[in-house]
Amino acid sequence: MEFRAGHGCATVCAPDRPSLEALVPAVELHAVHKSYRRRGKPPQKALDALDLVVESGGVHGFLGPNGSGKTTTIRVLLGLVRAESGDVRLLDRPIPAGLPEVIGSVGALVETPLFFPGFSGRRNLRLLAETAGLPRTRVEEALEIVDLRERADDRFKGYSLGMKQRLGIAAALLKHPRLLVLDEPSNGLDPAGIKDVRELIRRLGADGSTTVLLSSHLLAEIEQVADSVSIMARGRCIASGPVREVLAGRSTGDVRVRVPDPAAAAAVLSAAGFRVGPADGGLLVAAGGAPGRVTQVLAEHGHYLEELTPVAADLETAFLALTADPA
Amino acid sequence: MSAVPAPTVPAPTVPAGRFAGLLRAETHRFLARRFLRVLLVLTLLGWIGALVIGLLAFRSPTPDALAAAQAQQQESIATSNAYREQCVADPSRPADVPVDEYCGPAADEQNTPVSLFLQPAPFSLVSDTDDGVVSVAAVGAALAFLVGGTFVGAEWSTRSMVALLFWETRRPRVMAAKLLVTAVASAVVGLLMQGLWLGMAGLLQAVAGDGRSTPDGFWSQLLATQGRGVLLTVFAGLLGFGLTNLLRNTGAATGVAFVYVVIAETAVRALRPAWQPWLLTNNAAALVLPDGLDLSWPDDRLPPGGSGSGIVEYSLGNGQAAAYLVVVTAVVVGAGVVLFSRRDLH
Repeated sequence: MEFRAGHGCATVCAPDRPSLEALVPAVELHAVHKSYRRRGKPPQKALDALDLVVESGGVHGFLGPNGSGKTTTIRVLLGLVRAESGDVRLLDRPIPAGLPEVIGSVGALVETPLFFPGFSGRRNLRLLAETAGLPRTRVEEALEIVDLRERADDRFKGYSLGMKQRLGIAAALLKHPRLLVLDEPSNGLDPAGIKDVRELIRRLGADGSTTVLLSSHLLAEIEQVADSVSIMARGRCIASGPVREVLAGRSTGDVRVRVPDPAAAAAVLSAAGFRVGPADGGLLVAAGGAPGRVTQVLAEHGHYLEELTPVAADLETAFLALTADPA
Repeated sequence: MSAVPAPTVPAPTVPAGRFAGLLRAETHRFLARRFLRVLLVLTLLGWIGALVIGLLAFRSPTPDALAAAQAQQQESIATSNAYREQCVADPSRPADVPVDEYCGPAADEQNTPVSLFLQPAPFSLVSDTDDGVVSVAAVGAALAFLVGGTFVGAEWSTRSMVALLFWETRRPRVMAAKLLVTAVASAVVGLLMQGLWLGMAGLLQAVAGDGRSTPDGFWSQLLATQGRGVLLTVFAGLLGFGLTNLLRNTGAATGVAFVYVVIAETAVRALRPAWQPWLLTNNAAALVLPDGLDLSWPDDRLPPGGSGSGIVEYSLGNGQAAAYLVVVTAVVVGAGVVLFSRRDLH
């Protein structure tokens, strides 16, 4: 995975895989605008000159607070919503004109799964498979993947939320998709179901032939399964790249220090110009990216380190910092 | 850091499914609907109920009863014609009003059938079949409207319409497949209803009929009328589909249809009778009835004291009614398809 610095959200590079699919980005949006008209009110900007590139392969997390434009972006990609301006490409085809050429390679689960409540899970999938000209054996394979074969003949309306979600994922997998778009796939799942879905997503992302675009509000989920991440706010992509790079970009440079005499050490560090505070029985030192200097100052005054740990930003911290309303 | 390799090979793509697959899926989706099965069962129960009522209401006459009724028939014809002759000879009869209009047509066995004098009357295949065809066509049209409306209404209420677009993104094709299925299903509803009516009429004629043989051309005219009845169910099915697709709600579409038929048309007949040729139910009746529909309304253009009957007569023919219904159906369905093709979907 490579991070191209300085290109905003067009920054995520694919893992080194020898497949043809890796040669073209899975998703490209450039200067995309979309506003929703509201009765008696000014139009609401949903996408504001959005630039986003998701290279092929791996799992790409798509984060953003409510109303940031995530779902609108997904709907634009799937041709459900028309962008007012800008270029949109999906698997190297222009959208919406080229969508019929690539839709057979795109699986999607957007928000809640949409099925006929009176039909069984199997019948719902068979109808979709028939629409795409897929064999019935593929339905059984997809049901097997999401572990729903035993309940496949039950009516959809009798399914639990988790089963409905799994059927939605099975439908998205029917086409052997090169791009799998999952919008909040863990909604309604119990902890075991969430774990299963995460493992499935990780497996799909690792097989080299599928790119997973995972939209979620669960930061931990993205952190655990995504290779790269894009963060949306106010209709724009404000950060994008491999997860660790995005986190590194938000790193504070603070270090956690543990010494035998914290009070004396704090006095020494303060005298040397560091900001120091207490932290879990030790000290939190604003090292400003120079942890070696902290070590040196303490050693010069006879304080020998038991522990020095860089304080890493988690995705939640980075997300909150990036999406904070400037007003 | 390394640059991303530029695309050198076009990405392989898997095109969307063929129209035949979409059509097959839509057909299966349609046939698997429970509403359709319920409707079918209710139709068969209704048919059985109507048959039982028919068998109780009609009875073939005994020879004595028939002879007595024929005698009453001849007496009635003679009396009616005697009164008519007096009317024709009346010097005060207006000269500018046709005789048949002022005094009525001459009575004969056609307009004074013997069944009028039989209690209970026998079923008459010759006399009663056209009325039956028109009634059955009306019921079939109402059913087809519901079938078409609920088919697309269920898609909107479950939002399966949106899910389907993940599989076939060409929205006009999606609509075309659904419309084709609706049209064929409506035709099947029409054929089924007309077939059931023909079966019932045959049974009633055999068990409680008047024993009259069918005149020349009877069957060809009957089949033509039934064919137009099937055409009406197709229009109704497509209108139900189109209206529901516009409103995206079966209940709203049914409500609009009810308000139109019960309130709007009644208001037009009362307040603007000259607009009657544009009413959908009049055109529906005119499409099915063998000789179209004759309409009349007071002539507002007649000056006070002017001569003439004061009545405007308008004959709405089969072809004119069919053309009008084609236009209305095309506008309603087309507007829904255009909106569906252009709107953002959520």
